[in-house]
Amino acid sequence: MPPHLTLGFFSDLLIGMGRDFWMAAMALVMGCSLGAPLAIVWALRGPIRLLPNAIVQLLRAAPTFVVMFFLLNILPHRITIFGNDIVISRQFTVALSLLPYSASVIAESAAEALRHWRVGSHLAALLLLPNLARIYFVLVMSSGSAAAIGVHEGISSILRQADQFQAIGDRLWVFAIGVLGYGLILQTGFIGVQKLRSHLAAQVTRRRRPSDLTESSKINGG
Amino acid sequence: MTATVRPASPLRAGLRLLLIVVSLCLPLSARAANAPAPLQPASALSSPDVALAKLLAEAHTEAAHSCIAPTSRLVAILCAGSIRIGVRDNYPPFAVMNAHGRAGFEIAIAQRIGAMLGVKTTLVTVTPADRIAALAEGRIDVTIATMGDTTLRDSQARFIRPHYYASSTAIIGAKSHPALTLRTIGGRTICVTVGDSSNPGLAEAGARLLLFASPEQLVDELNSGTCALIAQDDTFFARYFTDPRFRSLYSVKFTVDPLPWGMATPIQDGAQLADALALMSEIFHRDGVFLKLAQANALGLSFLTQQRAVWLRRDCNAANGFTNSRCVLPPHRSDMTETRFAGAVDATQNWLAERLGLQVGLEIFKLQPAWDLVREGIRNSLILVFGTLLSTLAFALLIGRALSLQSRLLRWPMRGVVMLLQSTPPVLSLVIAASAANAIFAFSSTLAISAAILALGLINGGNAGQAISEALASLREEQQEPPLIGPPMTETTLYIHALRRSVTQIMSFLINATKATPMASFIGAPELLNALTDSTSFSSDREATYWLMLIFYVLVVLIVVWICGRTRFMLERYLNAA
Repeated sequence: MPPHLTLGFFSDLLIGMGRDFWMAAMALVMGCSLGAPLAIVWALRGPIRLLPNAIVQLLRAAPTFVVMFFLLNILPHRITIFGNDIVISRQFTVALSLLPYSASVIAESAAEALRHWRVGSHLAALLLLPNLARIYFVLVMSSGSAAAIGVHEGISSILRQADQFQAIGDRLWVFAIGVLGYGLILQTGFIGVQKLRSHLAAQVTRRRRPSDLTESSKINGG
Repeated sequence: MTATVRPASPLRAGLRLLLIVVSLCLPLSARAANAPAPLQPASALSSPDVALAKLLAEAHTEAAHSCIAPTSRLVAILCAGSIRIGVRDNYPPFAVMNAHGRAGFEIAIAQRIGAMLGVKTTLVTVTPADRIAALAEGRIDVTIATMGDTTLRDSQARFIRPHYYASSTAIIGAKSHPALTLRTIGGRTICVTVGDSSNPGLAEAGARLLLFASPEQLVDELNSGTCALIAQDDTFFARYFTDPRFRSLYSVKFTVDPLPWGMATPIQDGAQLADALALMSEIFHRDGVFLKLAQANALGLSFLTQQRAVWLRRDCNAANGFTNSRCVLPPHRSDMTETRFAGAVDATQNWLAERLGLQVGLEIFKLQPAWDLVREGIRNSLILVFGTLLSTLAFALLIGRALSLQSRLLRWPMRGVVMLLQSTPPVLSLVIAASAANAIFAFSSTLAISAAILALGLINGGNAGQAISEALASLREEQQEPPLIGPPMTETTLYIHALRRSVTQIMSFLINATKATPMASFIGAPELLNALTDSTSFSSDREATYWLMLIFYVLVVLIVVWICGRTRFMLERYLNAA
């Protein structure tokens, strides 16, 4: 038998999940801001390419969970920029901890898109969009780690509700509701990304010109 | 600031002495009128009241003759006609300063002491950071400033025993929250402040610790619903429990780590003053003075009630009661033995400060308990990484095989499991695994590590397994496309080829699994992140600690990336040769 769950829990869960999406959005925007310049340099020719490559490798090696605790303990709670007092919230700290991941994967995807664009394969370059959407959903999943530093988000709503029950059966019911909630949204998102990717890929194949084929072969090292 | 020492006239000294003897006799006569009368010491001469009167009389006699060069701190106080007591100004209900002046339990005690000595009480504001230094530098004569009596501090100041209060870490939660003890806390989330001395104990019991910077933040998070349970010194909560709204919503679930609080005098010349204060404390406990002052300030009374019973006992209510180990509480053990290489760490710190101007706190390498925690954390982290890599690989092979089976009956459920794993946030998967494990077995660090290894292996192995099955499917399709070269491959050969084709994805999921291992700290696995969080209770410098943590994990991931790259290269070479 499922335990008695109030409407408050479901609204709390939805609000919490909304925060996960918001933190992921912040991380995506920041990731684009850092990833784009890295991608531009990466797409250049010559030894300068080694710099973004090294930075991306380092960013990739930083575990999000560790970065989150690191930032929580290192960052001041309040900073002043151009005379304006800015409070660094825990939500912002989480978004910032997702930055190494988002910046590195965005840099990679954007560099590839730039190379496609440069050779005139515009539709292939547009595959960056479904890639960004996929990255966004991965960021939503990862932002659940925010529960570990006390951010009032989806996972913490689930854990708080589960803590109200002693019996493991009741707690598993709460977890199952959480899995269902995240699962529905994320699977829908992933299906959407898949559709967009297929659509763009089909467009690429349909509109590919002979010159595209030649240049694409160059890009792929062919 | 030093005390103004002026000679006391014999007449003034005589009057003060008379006042003290009268004031000490008053409680005795008042008690005699009340029933039931407390048990009296065997000999009237050995009572704390008489011993105190005698001690003060001797000090007064001395003060009458040697105020130019007082022989002790007590004599100096009597000569000055004032005692300087260090108190806090922002810790309600113990000591606060507001528009109406100072108030609180400790302020009331300070005033009682001044009255008993027959001198003016001068209150000096101190903080936890300078209360011992103020004593050593002679800026104050006594400190009564929420100071826990620990073996570490015992060498820095002369603590007065019996203790005037005791605190402990209280775990607070909503009244509707299920009852809890330290034994049943495993798997629950508790919000704590960074560096709290009770953090290691709570983490060891299997609690998930959420870290916050200040105790006030904990209360905010409790009220907002972010934290279901918060842990902090019970004296901190005292003022909150005076609020009817707070009292109606929350209750103390349990307490841990009792810590007796003591007044303290300087080590150098404070022996006589310490004896006088110890005798006064005996009397205050016995006569219920501490209890009444605590009651007036809405403090918890359990410690003081229990202490009163002790100091009413015949063996304790004596001149030497404060030296009797059966009556006084020992200081809280907080011995910090140094590591063998503490000297080298000191030298490094000095070098960094002198050459580079960097102030780096490396206490975790200098203090043995902190170093033990870190060492164990590193060991557990490596076990976790190794175990997770193995389980990811094992689940990848298993799930890859299951997803490639011809039978839909077996393939579809497995596909459902993989989809479920893919759409569950990793933290939630870990919590579910830990909850299930805790329901079957009693919580232990080994259980937490094992649950984390299994959960992380399943999540990443599921993804890698899917990559293997997709590679296998593509190979099967290619097999059916003309032109067919050579005889069709067997299932085993196909599977090996699929592994080869999906090796990049397998490697990337192995790296992902390594990066996810610190998450195990959330379910109480004692890996490095947890150990360093615990070790912040020994170290004042959190920045250096967390920098070391970040460097460690980045290095571990880079090593795994390198190993994966090498393995792939060697595997390719071997397969090509074969």
